[in-house]
Amino acid sequence: MTREIQQKLRAEARNLLEKGKVDRVIGYGAGSLKFATTPLIISDKANADRLVVNPFIHNNLSVFLPDLCGKVAIVAKVCDARSIISLVQNKQIAREDVFIIGVPCSGIIDLAKVQKLTGLDRDEIGDMSWKGDKVAVTFAGGSKEFSAGEVLAGSCLGCDCSGFQEFDLVIGEIKTLAGGKDLSRNKIQEMEAMSPAQRWEFWKNEFSRCIRCYACRQLCPVCFCERCFVEETEPLWVSPLPKWQDNLIFQAVRMMHVAGRCTDCGECERACPANIPLGILTGKMEDIVEELFQYRAGMDKDAPPLMAAYQPEEAENLMR
Amino acid sequence: MKKIKKQNAARLLEKWQKEFTVFVPSKASGVAQMAVWDGQDLAFLEHNRNTVIPPKANFLPSIQKMFGFRKEEGGYVLEPTDEDPPKQLLFGIHPCDARAIAIIDMVFKDAYEDRYYLSRRQNTVLVGMACTSPYDNCFCTSLGFGPADATDVDIMLTDIGDSFLIEEITDKGKEVLAGAKDVMAATPADEKKARAVKESAKARVSTKIDTDEIGKRLPLVFDDRKFWEEISAKCVSCGICTFLCPTCYCFDINDEMLRDGSGARYRNWDCCSFAVYTKMPTENPREDKWRRVRQKVYHKYAFYPELFGIIGCTGCGRCIRQCPVNWDITQTLNSLPAGTPTKKQETQKSS
Ligand code: SF4
Ligand code: SF4
Ligand code: SF4
Ligand code: SF4
Repeated sequence: MTREIQQKLRAEARNLLEKGKVDRVIGYGAGSLKFATTPLIISDKANADRLVVNPFIHNNLSVFLPDLCGKVAIVAKVCDARSIISLVQNKQIAREDVFIIGVPCSGIIDLAKVQKLTGLDRDEIGDMSWKGDKVAVTFAGGSKEFSAGEVLAGSCLGCDCSGFQEFDLVIGEIKTLAGGKDLSRNKIQEMEAMSPAQRWEFWKNEFSRCIRCYACRQLCPVCFCERCFVEETEPLWVSPLPKWQDNLIFQAVRMMHVAGRCTDCGECERACPANIPLGILTGKMEDIVEELFQYRAGMDKDAPPLMAAYQPEEAENLMR
Repeated sequence: MKKIKKQNAARLLEKWQKEFTVFVPSKASGVAQMAVWDGQDLAFLEHNRNTVIPPKANFLPSIQKMFGFRKEEGGYVLEPTDEDPPKQLLFGIHPCDARAIAIIDMVFKDAYEDRYYLSRRQNTVLVGMACTSPYDNCFCTSLGFGPADATDVDIMLTDIGDSFLIEEITDKGKEVLAGAKDVMAATPADEKKARAVKESAKARVSTKIDTDEIGKRLPLVFDDRKFWEEISAKCVSCGICTFLCPTCYCFDINDEMLRDGSGARYRNWDCCSFAVYTKMPTENPREDKWRRVRQKVYHKYAFYPELFGIIGCTGCGRCIRQCPVNWDITQTLNSLPAGTPTKKQETQKSS
């Protein structure tokens, strides 16, 4: 199945480049690590055969779009495609400059979760593959099966493709995963059950590990500010020293800035080398945005950006 | 050579705890790093792979207070932080990370002796552990040493089943082992076992680079903009590969000040992948991403050898494993164009 899709994708990419319909194609290439793929940006049709589709196409490639000139075709899962539309809504790219190639996705297996469940590192795992609705993990001296709920990325569990219409081309069949929003909100519910003091303790502990590598910001497609507030020195909004308090402020302000453009794609959490569960914040934020404004970023290219439009009758109780 | 039974290793750590703050590889904080031993956890005796946060953090902390200051009539009064740096013992450090510390030493005691770094360094004992389970992308054997090399530690341990073989490398190492009750003499059979363990560890390092060839090619490809643009296209300019690199030592200096003019000066990790790193009032020589990626490679593989006669990379593979887009330095190094120096220079001359 994925082989067929891969062949088709390569043919389409070759064709688009050959006919001059696009200047570049962004997709996934084979990674150098086990269970990894790597972003691949090509302009020569001879390189189309380097494109791959497999269960490990985790990067959200839309982050590269604003920097590429010309017309670009991009391989996208539904969540990535929503980020692309979010960029269009926020006028970072023009819709007609992007050709969105949708590929089906059976959910991204969260390697960090598998590592935690098995106690094994990436290179100690033999294989990971779908077996019906379970993920079979093999390793030296055994194998284990996990349910999708245990090993899928949090953002995949909350996947909802219904109503997304913006693909220019779809290879295979795209459908919503059977995870269910509830599963993806488990951690948020745990947080909500805590007292404010417990929550404070929790985040203090998490943000003590932050090293301010800014991978979360750099990988985020909708962190597109030319100059991030953390780089301002006059005034100094937040100290550049990675103290937990400032780390928390950095992330809290980043969240406020991406509210209404974040699609809860999960890329920031995946990038974080310190394993900080940023998905709790993006997930909760998406919920709040939806509840208060009935707004989901990246669904409608013509909808004005949430934070740039105001209707007098909306959410009066927001400003309390 | 000596040895100690694994079940007695904890007692050795307890002995050291009386004199040192003992650090061990730990995941307790949520990320693998050297952490103060809690007296309980002994998982690292059986399974000890490279930590995500490199042990350089024990010498060059991500935040270090340099001095305090306070405003007094007519100026500032400095308050030096002269408390003695902690006496620390790093247990289970891998040969590559010990090599990395030796590499950074060269910078901090070169033209200027950096007391913040060197005082910690002098107060530290490194107890190495031969790395018996290298990652699939480690490439230390291409850099003139290997996963069981004892050159840069004070004591070296090798797992030989129910015991660790102990090699005392430095006087410091001998000193801290003196009087340790459970340490016994090793037998020739133990030593033979250790040799076999080391050999098989070495054989498991499968990723290779050719440093001779790299040394020849790098001077020829510096201006190959097309190559560097292609190589860097997928990099997103985060701080992961440099912050987590055990040999990257760049730091920034920042003050924290209260309204009354008192405060402190700190230094914290900085990173050449950030565009602001070289930003100056009027220009930025490395505003382009490809120039920054090129800098990272050249600093380690060209400038460091030129300055100190050693490559500034240990092949630990952290920058590959942790990179969020799987940018792989070995792929870059292995795909450097051969370059055609004479022809190129000729055409440049004639055009
Ligand atoms: S990716 Fe993680 S460690 Fe890096 S700045 Fe973001 S939260 Fe901090
Ligand atoms: S904040 Fe995180 S989840 Fe939201 S769009 Fe950015 S990378 Fe994706
Ligand atoms: S970790 Fe990867 S993406 Fe980040 S700066 Fe390094 S090479 Fe670029
Ligand atoms: S450059 Fe990469 S492989 Fe080399 S020492 Fe640094 S992190 Fe390790």
